[in-house]
Amino acid sequence: MDQPDRILGAIYRAIDELNMTQPMEGKVSKSPEAALAAPAGPLDSLGLVNLVVETEQQIEDEFRVAINLADQQAASASQNPLASVQSLADYIRSKLGDTDSG
Amino acid sequence: MLKIATVSDFNLGNFAALLRNDGAEPAVAVVETPFGQPFQILADPSHPTWAEAVDCLIVWTQPQRVISSFAQALEHEQVDRAKLFAEVDQFAALVRSCQDRARMILVPTWTLPPWERGSSLLECRRGVGLADLLARMNQRLAEQLEGSPPGSTAQGASQSNVFVLDAQRWLVTAGIRSFSTKAWYLGKIPFSNEIFKQAVKETKAALRAISGATRKLVVVDLDDTLWGGIVGDIGLENLTLGGHDGDGEALVDFQRALKALTRRGIILGVVSKNDETTALTALREHPEMILRPDDFAGWRINWGDKAQNVVDLAAELNLGLQSVVFIDDNPVERARVREMLPEVLVPEWPADKTLYRRALLELNCFDVAALTQEDRNRAAMYVSDRERKHARRTVGSLDDWLASLNVTIEIEFLNEANLTRAAQLLNKTNQMNLTTRRMTEQELLAWSSEPDHRVWTIKVRDKFGDLGLTGLLSVETKAASLSADGAAPSGAARIADFVLSCRVMGRKIEETMVAFAVRHARDEGARVLTATYLPTPKNKPCLEFLRRSGMRESSEGSIFEWNTAEDYPVPHQVTIGSLDHALPGH
Repeated sequence: MDQPDRILGAIYRAIDELNMTQPMEGKVSKSPEAALAAPAGPLDSLGLVNLVVETEQQIEDEFRVAINLADQQAASASQNPLASVQSLADYIRSKLGDTDSG
Repeated sequence: MLKIATVSDFNLGNFAALLRNDGAEPAVAVVETPFGQPFQILADPSHPTWAEAVDCLIVWTQPQRVISSFAQALEHEQVDRAKLFAEVDQFAALVRSCQDRARMILVPTWTLPPWERGSSLLECRRGVGLADLLARMNQRLAEQLEGSPPGSTAQGASQSNVFVLDAQRWLVTAGIRSFSTKAWYLGKIPFSNEIFKQAVKETKAALRAISGATRKLVVVDLDDTLWGGIVGDIGLENLTLGGHDGDGEALVDFQRALKALTRRGIILGVVSKNDETTALTALREHPEMILRPDDFAGWRINWGDKAQNVVDLAAELNLGLQSVVFIDDNPVERARVREMLPEVLVPEWPADKTLYRRALLELNCFDVAALTQEDRNRAAMYVSDRERKHARRTVGSLDDWLASLNVTIEIEFLNEANLTRAAQLLNKTNQMNLTTRRMTEQELLAWSSEPDHRVWTIKVRDKFGDLGLTGLLSVETKAASLSADGAAPSGAARIADFVLSCRVMGRKIEETMVAFAVRHARDEGARVLTATYLPTPKNKPCLEFLRRSGMRESSEGSIFEWNTAEDYPVPHQVTIGSLDHALPGH
């Protein structure tokens, strides 16, 4: 499995965990197009915290690399990394590219 | 739907969401209070949280946030331990002050993250280590919360509706990710969801305990469940049980764990496809067998369908299927029972015998709010009952059998000595229960203290032994008044609770309770005694009794009444023993 698929897989596992705490109408679907942050997506501030925490853990488990999805870099990115599953995956790929782990 | 309120110094949003989304019974509605204000909310009886009745209040705090001296200790400052414990006492008193606002209060113990190494080598040294200090604080908190609130009539730990939950176990289960610094700094959530999932399980188990939905009977298979091997094929001398063998030792430990359950009021049964004589011989004669035939309340050992055998055994023991746990190593048998009897709890069972004991101990379906002597003796009582039934087969008519039992009952007013067991009976009894009214000890005591309310407990014994406190009767009497023309008294009495354990149903104790209630009603000036039956999926036996009781049934079929001018006969098969504290009018 190549890196983009592994990243998406990790995000989907994080979404499974996240959805356990989401109300029925606020579940996030597991597709690259799925919107995450409000207003387009269903996640409020608590939901975003859960997504960040769960995704960081899943990425660490998958790649043995700790990344920070809530740092200044994320805050100042031209596109909100938490806008959609795809934007989050792209952002994680750029973060992993910053490391030597592959 | 039960209403849960949470009070915390941190963000409990994830816990509340997991609790709401959890599919296990009972369903709950969760009211989250703003986090960070535990003192303000607990201390303010007019806070909106308390506007509606709360079934369960959860007070979950971090020690450094509510005990300022502990925050100092975390900074390795010298702390005045007397001051620190005084703070713990104050916090406990604040929680106890809410005892009347919720049927049950749950307080998870205080914990520290696993990376908080404190003074390392000195962690458990008195006066130095944080671990030592926190352990003492939790002990102090538990002792204070067990006590009676100032001014309360309730006394002692068994009557407290505050329960301290061991959160340390949740940490161990969740491992290194039990705490989350990221979630704390981003969202003021100290714990990972793994901790909250454990807390949800414990909370649901506690709610089942107060609503009487705990399991009472564990039915086990024999071959490759209680022992290793097929006894009919290899003989009892070749069974894997005990000895110098990993599986053998594990099965002995599993049997010990089952036996330990009987000391908590859980009874055991066997459903096995086997030759009965061969299987019972193994139970009696294998030298390392822990569970002997006398440890089982009953068995169905034959070649019939296991689902049907579970139904028959539960019926023999007068238990509903919702009380049953079925343990079998065979996935096909588990699937069969699960499909045919959805009320029965059929846990997935490991193939590895060294995991049996663990799988049993992990079940959270046996929790009770109190443990009484009746609970501890229940297994022995069921064994006596089996002997009773054997005697029945050797005696002719039902009347002859009942008379031969020498049933004696003692009727007592509700009092502090019998309160715990009475509340437990009220909350656990499903079948012979007129209204299935559930109340905590405090609520029952408060109800019985109202003018014109009377609550009695019924203890039963017979020639086979003491069956303990197995009945509860309560009556509300409307004071007699003159009718409109001033000619005749118009007082009425109503049976509020008519509760009898399934262990003693059908022995004319029901009729004796009605006779007693009629006498009380007449002594109080009531012209008529009524019983209004509230149907549930489980209390049809009560309706069937009322219909054969001789009481007049209303056209709607739910109200039964007796004119107190007429004596209700006390069955000759029942002797009423010491009535000193119970005679109506005394």
